[in-house]
Amino acid sequence: MDFSPLTDALASKSYGKIADICDELMLKAAAELEGTPFEEEWPFAIHLLAHFYVNDINGARFLWKSIPSAVKERQPEVVAAWKIGQRLWTRDYAAVHEAIRSFDWTPQTQPLVAAFSEVYTKRIFQLLLSAYSTIGIQDTALFLGMNEDDATSYVLQQGWVADPASRMLTVKKQPVATEQKLDPSKLQRLTEYVFHLEH
Amino acid sequence: MATVESLLAQIQGLSSSAGDLGLLLTHLKQADELLHNESTPLLPFLEQLDPTLHSLGYLYILVSLAVIAVCKRFKDHVLMLEAPMRGVAPLLEAVKKIRSSSEHLSTLHPDFLQLCLLAKCYKTGLSILEDNIFEVDQPRDFFLYCYYGGMICIGQKRFKKALELLHNVVTAPMSSINAIAVEAFKKYILVSLIHSGQFSTNLPKYTSSAAQRNLKTLCPPYVELANTCSSGKISELETYIQTNREKFDSDNNLGLVKQVVSSMYKKNIQRLTQTYLTLSLQDIANTVQLSSPKEAEMHVLQMIQDGEIYATINQKDGMVRFLEDPEQYKTCEMIECIDSSIQRIMTLSKKLTAMDEHISCDPLYLAKAGRERQRFDFDDFDPVPQKFNI
Repeated sequence: MDFSPLTDALASKSYGKIADICDELMLKAAAELEGTPFEEEWPFAIHLLAHFYVNDINGARFLWKSIPSAVKERQPEVVAAWKIGQRLWTRDYAAVHEAIRSFDWTPQTQPLVAAFSEVYTKRIFQLLLSAYSTIGIQDTALFLGMNEDDATSYVLQQGWVADPASRMLTVKKQPVATEQKLDPSKLQRLTEYVFHLEH
Repeated sequence: MATVESLLAQIQGLSSSAGDLGLLLTHLKQADELLHNESTPLLPFLEQLDPTLHSLGYLYILVSLAVIAVCKRFKDHVLMLEAPMRGVAPLLEAVKKIRSSSEHLSTLHPDFLQLCLLAKCYKTGLSILEDNIFEVDQPRDFFLYCYYGGMICIGQKRFKKALELLHNVVTAPMSSINAIAVEAFKKYILVSLIHSGQFSTNLPKYTSSAAQRNLKTLCPPYVELANTCSSGKISELETYIQTNREKFDSDNNLGLVKQVVSSMYKKNIQRLTQTYLTLSLQDIANTVQLSSPKEAEMHVLQMIQDGEIYATINQKDGMVRFLEDPEQYKTCEMIECIDSSIQRIMTLSKKLTAMDEHISCDPLYLAKAGRERQRFDFDDFDPVPQKFNI
């Protein structure tokens, strides 16, 4: 089995591509008729984490279901990775950080776990930003997986305002920059459709 | 139903001119089931043909013999080994090879999807479901393709696509009811409840009379579930599910039934956004029967995360403010989206016109239509009610 596309992607930190690469490689490996069953040496933990990285929890869920129970018993790291997945699936936001921290990841998986942790924190910050106008300091810390001081300074940097008396944070909305510049060819095309319909 | 002998005669008789070959191709396509049936003894049959004279027929049989049989045998084998994943990639390759175009539904499509389901490779299955199908060889292939496809989309939470596929099974032409349609109908009801919060028990007019007559009487617990949902009362729904739990479980639909309940909460919250501008978390909890304001907050948060409502939560005051959909239909992405929709509709419209022309030239259709025309009065063809005439 040639793992080079995967090792290349890991080496170049192209974490967003790993889930697709793994999906494809796994089907190839599974179809190979000779040698030991692919499950023996398949990097399931990385495969699961790569799904979390691109926010495909459903994909991770089915991958977990397809993993043979022998592998789950033998490889605690795979189980630990899925523990994160379970919390993501049930939207137990704070527990995701706990699950990340509560396992001693192997050197091969560690960088991917760290990258996921970072991207997840950003994702949750964006969620808080869009969903709240005011939110408690304690909740913010739980959501972001930080202690209260770190969480407060993290959001203050983004322009949020803290009220020490009520222990509340006021969310500072960021203007969403959307691409609105129209490509003239698009407009031309729409004009043609309308012209076509009217004549 | 063609026999091997009649097909043999057709191949021998229709292999000379180009026009004949076209006709032969139609016959061969119609005889697909015969050719793909493993019990049909095709090998001795091949000896009676001359590859230099009857090349089309010869090739057709050869290919049918080899690829389809090998693939079907292969699928059975990986299933026997309980290693469905081993067959996913090879069968996907085979599907791509034997279909005449991406619009053609081959007899291997359902086998491939079945393997994807068993191997939990849902995403891989989805890749083939994105193709629009316009050409089907065997009704059974189509039923199974849509049923398995529906299940894959359910797994991927693509409920709209799942609904479309299951709808195709339920409303497909059928002379008698079949088990695939019954199972599809059960899932169709559930997915409809999850996706739109309601289920209309009236099937569309083009549904076969076999389906119209039988489906509802064959799935009473599901029809009743849909009725219970229409009240919008969670407690009633949960009681009903509890008493009928075993029935849903034995159909392997309990997971979907549970999703109906959670989508009911969502629909109830969505309904609030239409009435109120701001509402306290406590009021939301009371109205949609959640146990605490915190639980209501988590529900609202999840729905914001999934883009199902637009709202901001004010923890300080314990209030939720509902907002308008921020989409203003002027971004580049939106233009791109509209453009591709227009393109898709245009392709579809051309396809319909072509199909209509094709049918209008079909001798079989013309013979039948000519015979039937006398039986109807002119009024039967007039769909516009008199009072709307100007």
